[in-house]
Amino acid sequence: MRKWLIGLLLIPIVFVLGCDSGNQVRVAVAGPFTGNAAAFGEMIKRGAELKAKEINEAGGINGRQLKLLFGDDTGTEKEAKAVATRFATDRRVLAVVGHFNSTCSIAGKPIYKENGIVELSPGSTNVDVCQGSDWTFRNLYRDDFQGAFIAKYIKTYLTEYKTVGVIFENDDYGRGLRDGFLAEAEKIDLSVVADTAYDRDTTDYTAQLTNIKAENPDMLLISGLYGQAGLIAKQARNLGITAPFFGADGIDSPEFIIIAEDAANGTYLSTPFTFRAGGDEAANVAKAFEAEFGVPPDTWAALTYDAMGMIAEAIEKTYNSDAPLAENRKAIRDHLAGLDTPEEGYTGITGLTYFDKNGDTVNKPAYVKIVKDGEFTMAENQLLDSE
Amino acid sequence: MMQNSLSFFNTRILKNSLSSKNIVLCLFVLLFPAIMYYGLDSISLILSKINIYPPIPPGDYMVYITVQVCIYILLAIGLNIVCGYTGLLDLGYVGFYLIGGYTVGLLMVRLGLSYWFALPIAIIHGAGWGLLRGAPTLRLTGDYFAIVTFGFAEFLRIAVKNEIWLIGDINGFVKKIPPVSIPFTEIEFRENWHHYYHILILIAIVIFVSYRLQHSRIGRAWIAIREDEQAAASMGINISRYKSLAFAISAAIGAIGGGFLAQFWGDLSARTFEFWESILILCMVILGGKGSIKGSIIGAIFIGFLGEILRFIPDQLDLPELAGARYLVYGVILVLLMRFRPDGLIFKKSG
Amino acid sequence: MDEFFQQLINALVLGGIYALIAVGYTMVYGIIQLINFAHGEVFMLGAYFAFTLVTAFHLPFWAAVPISMILCAGFGLLMDYVAYRPIRNAPRLSALITAIGVSIALQNIARIIWGAKPRPFPSDSLPSFMRQLGQNETPEIYFSLLGIEFTQANISFSENVSIAYLDFFIILLAIILMVALNRLVTLTKIGKAMRACAQSRIAANLMGINTNRVIAVTFAIGSFLGAIAGVMVGVREYIEPTMGYYKGVAAFAAAVLGGIGNITGAMFGGLLIGFAEVFGAGYIPYGYGSGYRIAIAYIVMIIVILIRPTGLFGKSTGHRA
Repeated sequence: MRKWLIGLLLIPIVFVLGCDSGNQVRVAVAGPFTGNAAAFGEMIKRGAELKAKEINEAGGINGRQLKLLFGDDTGTEKEAKAVATRFATDRRVLAVVGHFNSTCSIAGKPIYKENGIVELSPGSTNVDVCQGSDWTFRNLYRDDFQGAFIAKYIKTYLTEYKTVGVIFENDDYGRGLRDGFLAEAEKIDLSVVADTAYDRDTTDYTAQLTNIKAENPDMLLISGLYGQAGLIAKQARNLGITAPFFGADGIDSPEFIIIAEDAANGTYLSTPFTFRAGGDEAANVAKAFEAEFGVPPDTWAALTYDAMGMIAEAIEKTYNSDAPLAENRKAIRDHLAGLDTPEEGYTGITGLTYFDKNGDTVNKPAYVKIVKDGEFTMAENQLLDSE
Repeated sequence: MMQNSLSFFNTRILKNSLSSKNIVLCLFVLLFPAIMYYGLDSISLILSKINIYPPIPPGDYMVYITVQVCIYILLAIGLNIVCGYTGLLDLGYVGFYLIGGYTVGLLMVRLGLSYWFALPIAIIHGAGWGLLRGAPTLRLTGDYFAIVTFGFAEFLRIAVKNEIWLIGDINGFVKKIPPVSIPFTEIEFRENWHHYYHILILIAIVIFVSYRLQHSRIGRAWIAIREDEQAAASMGINISRYKSLAFAISAAIGAIGGGFLAQFWGDLSARTFEFWESILILCMVILGGKGSIKGSIIGAIFIGFLGEILRFIPDQLDLPELAGARYLVYGVILVLLMRFRPDGLIFKKSG
Repeated sequence: MDEFFQQLINALVLGGIYALIAVGYTMVYGIIQLINFAHGEVFMLGAYFAFTLVTAFHLPFWAAVPISMILCAGFGLLMDYVAYRPIRNAPRLSALITAIGVSIALQNIARIIWGAKPRPFPSDSLPSFMRQLGQNETPEIYFSLLGIEFTQANISFSENVSIAYLDFFIILLAIILMVALNRLVTLTKIGKAMRACAQSRIAANLMGINTNRVIAVTFAIGSFLGAIAGVMVGVREYIEPTMGYYKGVAAFAAAVLGGIGNITGAMFGGLLIGFAEVFGAGYIPYGYGSGYRIAIAYIVMIIVILIRPTGLFGKSTGHRA
């Protein structure tokens, strides 16, 4: 009986600890903070935390402190749906920044739509993410755009590389990107000589790479995430593949160079954002980020930072503390949907962001970086037309 | 034993179980969504009027989580048939869950079949795979059986990821599974409480079937096999037949869970059916006590809600590091249970 | 043809790694009939221990590896003492479930301590022969022997067939350790005790063998070998909390294939799984090979268990549980 009493006493403690005053606006951040993609989730969390800290230090949003709620979706559909339901039905949450994995964004989409709350993804690139819902947005480009972009870039500027081999991760991201690339390559007559899949768990890729080597491509497209891409680069060099690599935003992380070491040199990669192109503001954010967390920010930290900024701006312009929750949420959505022309768009450290009628970001240019002496540098030639 | 086995509807047993505790429990289960929507939500609504925002979970979220837990209850009861009654360790139960989910999902999306036709097909399909997997593994016991089931489930998951012609999309995506409507009416299962009553009915059916089996010739044969296979065989029990039956029924229940999941979520992906999920269901069965329906239910409720509590409580208390320890807890639970209460937390039953 | 020989080398390296891990499974299973699911995690911890010693304590690589192996052996003892010994006489399934629990717990502890990010060994901490080349660097040739060139980066047999020194070292290490282990089991007193325990624990006990000690030693040796495999994989690839999962399963398949409980079998099983995986991924057409690569070990394992549960080298013991 005494145990029960102690248990009952604990409930009010949790209650009081979790209680907060009304003088706050709350935004939820959903991402894979544990699980396979935890390394990305960590960056998303930090990007959001940095922006929230900056906003709060500058006096908050219209005098209200911005409070973040984090929901761990572990990168799986099941957890993403639970997190989405939690945030969508929580009467304190105004908007959601997330999710990272396309699977999770798609899983959460109907729930956010049903409950009328904005889902702004800083990381999902699958083609279908924004389709069929007015409430889902993203501030980066789609896989098919990026795949096509890479094909065009190789065709336009890297003319000495006539043939391309593709090695892609067998999941939604790797395959989506590869499909976009292959479609465009066929259109513009770029010769693809090898096309093979790999899995994240088998960290030995020599069998596939030996096959690719036999086809002797001039360039190797690695369609996957930085960890495995780094290994592939290393193992390819060990096997004597001298072709340079081309990667996508998935390998745009300092970790890629840490893992691939010397093998990373000469790698091209397309990315939605570079701190170089972002100007002074981006450089300051990068400095603040490193001071705060001890590591340099990556693309997703920057995109989350901007997504948080967009939501904060929307709240600042539309928030009415007397109006019911649903109206406030709707106002945020309408504000975001109103950002549909370059003039209206939001300018953040990742450049100008505006949405098409789906909620996709259309204009975001892809930049091409190249790894030189263990550092990411901007490539000489940029292909900046967005369509 | 004889009286026990007579009937599920034995009036005497029914009368005995009509205690006030059970009636309250029944009412709570039946009225759960109403309590959540009108009770929990109104408390936080009233408090929000005076600008207090306590960490009360939203009612709809509670109902959603409960449906999710109900799926686990269903799966735990299904797994209990193989793990609890026949005593074989099945590490690939998620395979049948996958079969059910994809059968219903694909039939509904690609062939436009009604859910009410797709679900029975999924059940038969699941049972078929249960037999198919069961036939060659009949003579295996213990670890070897466990490993084959593990390999089987992982293989299915990889196949779903690769067979794009069958699934229609990459990575095992089945998208836009239409909402189900009750036959001859316009009522569609859209709200979480619709799904709640839907799964409640499915669970009732499964409990009924499982209970009747447990207390029949078949159930006693299974337990005889579990206790001593050779002795059971010499008593004239047809081992292969009874084992196959257990596999088929267990697989069919798994497929029901998957079929329900497909229409509940409206989309599927291969990552849902990872090995981890099998372990989770196994945890539930073992926590509650192998061989007991009540145990499986309690185990599923405990582990299912524990995951959610561990996700959000640390965040409420500003201890986000703890959230990472969520999975650690499951592992520790398994080890400690096997050490101190190998027959489950709920029942002290001799093995 | 070059491609074929290169794949052969790839398969040998992978097989060597699997064999080193498989020994840990096979030894423990041989003695207490337990699939030690947590062995893959010991393998992972071995890599992390060495990594931490090198990066945080700035020990030289050659000092870090033996210390990590000893730590892992100690860890194996601890695991046996804490988790497995108390339930030694419980039903076999309890032990298996415990092993799964230990595996999940260790994986998550590693994630909490070291983070989820994959981490490579910093290359300046490694001995020079384990390093690799960057782009467009022409390796310096040290000397050539019978047409085989020993270059700065690798041993190259022809223009397109080569093996990195690290990979060569892994194969060599696998062979040496297997032979040593085989000697240990056949020639020494503790080896004799192990074999006695494997035949019958009760009888061994009656003969005055301290079975608990023998089992503990078995865990220690298995973990010891697992640790060195972990370090080698960590150097060759990278270290992450889940690295033990897939490699562990594949190595277990190898142990089953070779006849579980049999050390020579584990060696050949490892090689065969390596071959199946590499040649499957390399030669099965239409993307099936590479798409299903991860399933190949599972398929081989299932087929072996169903057709010949005693494996290639195992003796039939009448009843196989």
